[in-house]
Amino acid sequence: MTTTADTPQTPEATAPSQGKPGGGLRGRLDSLPKPVRWAVLALLVAGAYLLPYAADVPVLGPQLVTEGIDWASALFNVSYFVLLALGLNVVVGFAGLLDLGYVGFYAVGAYTVALLASGDSVFGTKWTWLATIPIAIAIALFSGLILGWPTLRLRGDYLAIVTLGFAEIIRITADSTPDFLRGDQGFTGIPHPPGTFSDGTPVFGVRDATPYFWLGVTIIIIVVLALRNLERSRVGRSWLAIREDEEAAEVMGVRTVKYKLWAFAIGACVGGLGGVLFAGQNGFVNSAMFQLQLSILVLAGVVMGGSGNMAGAILGGALISYIPDRLRGTQILDRDAYEYRYLLFGVIIILIMIFRPQGLIPSRRRALELKDRAREVAPQ
Amino acid sequence: MLLELDNVTLLYGRIQALHGISLTVDEGEIVALIGANGAGKTTTMRAISGLRPVASGSIRFNGEDITRLRADLRVVRGLCQSPEGRGVFPGMSVLDNLDMGAYTRKDRAGIAADLERVLTLFPRLKERAKQAGGTLSGGEQQMLAVGRALMSRPKLLLLDEPSMGLAPMLIQQIFDIITEINQQGTTILLVEQNAQQALSRAHRGYVLETGNIVRSGTGTELLHDPAVKEAYLGVA
Repeated sequence: MTTTADTPQTPEATAPSQGKPGGGLRGRLDSLPKPVRWAVLALLVAGAYLLPYAADVPVLGPQLVTEGIDWASALFNVSYFVLLALGLNVVVGFAGLLDLGYVGFYAVGAYTVALLASGDSVFGTKWTWLATIPIAIAIALFSGLILGWPTLRLRGDYLAIVTLGFAEIIRITADSTPDFLRGDQGFTGIPHPPGTFSDGTPVFGVRDATPYFWLGVTIIIIVVLALRNLERSRVGRSWLAIREDEEAAEVMGVRTVKYKLWAFAIGACVGGLGGVLFAGQNGFVNSAMFQLQLSILVLAGVVMGGSGNMAGAILGGALISYIPDRLRGTQILDRDAYEYRYLLFGVIIILIMIFRPQGLIPSRRRALELKDRAREVAPQ
Repeated sequence: MLLELDNVTLLYGRIQALHGISLTVDEGEIVALIGANGAGKTTTMRAISGLRPVASGSIRFNGEDITRLRADLRVVRGLCQSPEGRGVFPGMSVLDNLDMGAYTRKDRAGIAADLERVLTLFPRLKERAKQAGGTLSGGEQQMLAVGRALMSRPKLLLLDEPSMGLAPMLIQQIFDIITEINQQGTTILLVEQNAQQALSRAHRGYVLETGNIVRSGTGTELLHDPAVKEAYLGVA
């Protein structure tokens, strides 16, 4: 900044309406009258629950439905990826901390279920799926605190490397403890959630993933409501301040370490919940499911959708799961198109970074922060 | 004595940035800390606001030893800094930025009154109330940073380079406001490269060179000190 500092630096400054924070899709939605807003939301929720019947919609339906994997399973995959993206969005989007090892918490959730409920576990407790949920969430939260406490003094890249290490530690521990976490061999016979239909067949079985998808959507709605309340509370305000300028937040009296720890712990809870859901549906958990690529993929989803915006995280999480599943069964160069997924996402991420760095459904606020950061790096 | 630094040293890794700084600020004063780039002005501020731990020495504020106190608790005690480079929250509106200044306070009536006071002090911020911090001009951001610090109703306001990057006319205006804030009863510790303005407004001043305080005195004394004149005022 030079001596001409009092002249407006951005076109927004001359057009005050554009400079308003928090715009974007939410801004447009917020400007609608309240009943309309509720109607739109209700329609979206109903639409989500009806997705398993998408194939019955004429013309559009068959295009949407996956070919290489049954549609209900593809939808269930979408639901737990959305859950993971929502959790990671708390850490990366709300608090602005780069976490490359998010899958670690997902693994903690899944392994807790496996250890408490599978017959292969050394504990031999054989709990029901439902009973493991509170323990799994508590342990995920605890692991978030354990990881966060010593590392959150680090910033940016340093934090990213440590979190990356955390996820690898869990996977490698699993690989090297054949009796405890059972490596590749894994845990079989993880029980499904409870409930039977009137004819005695279980609601949550192996044949049809539709009930699992509905369960996933229900959990997502609960998580979104909870996170929304948090985002609007003092905690959310502190996260926002930390994300926008950590040092300024600190001199305003924000206890930054505490709130960063909060973000980590809450993100870990949601990730753990994703692991619980996955373990219940899949019935089997082993170390190969928690590869580093999965962390990167979820992060790519959050960034792609619009970091800091829950609608964006939901869209991004859905896309990273849906696109590869939709490609299954299509042959490209003698290979299943599914195998090109990382290449594809690499290209998508590059394109997004060039043309839409704030994501597909951006928060206007985030766009302003990016601009501000660019100015700090390259002052005029 | 409101603030007292006694022999404070501070390290960045192995590099010693402060070599035993001692200074005092009395209630009601404006004290200026001047020096060249890299002399340790901002580092001194960071030691006082708690952004950086000191290696040895002590800091006392309002009769209490705050040497090891967490930064956020120093704000509660009445120490508030307007950080270098302004540090406004770019995505928050002007009002939200000001509201962040009152983060540690719970007295709604008091906050509303202080908001009124800040908006009267800076009419420009009132015009821009709903606009995002990142879209303001440099001068406006500076006003916002000072206004936001005032929202914590500090006993001692720490200003780090309030004139940095501003046009001469605006510098004048910012210093007028600083004087006004002081006359309304807020004690101010000011770090500045613009020695002329800072010393002519301050009751007392300190000159910092490579982590040491080399001179101190009233603002007028320092303004007329030949060594200060030569080094900082551009007069031979």
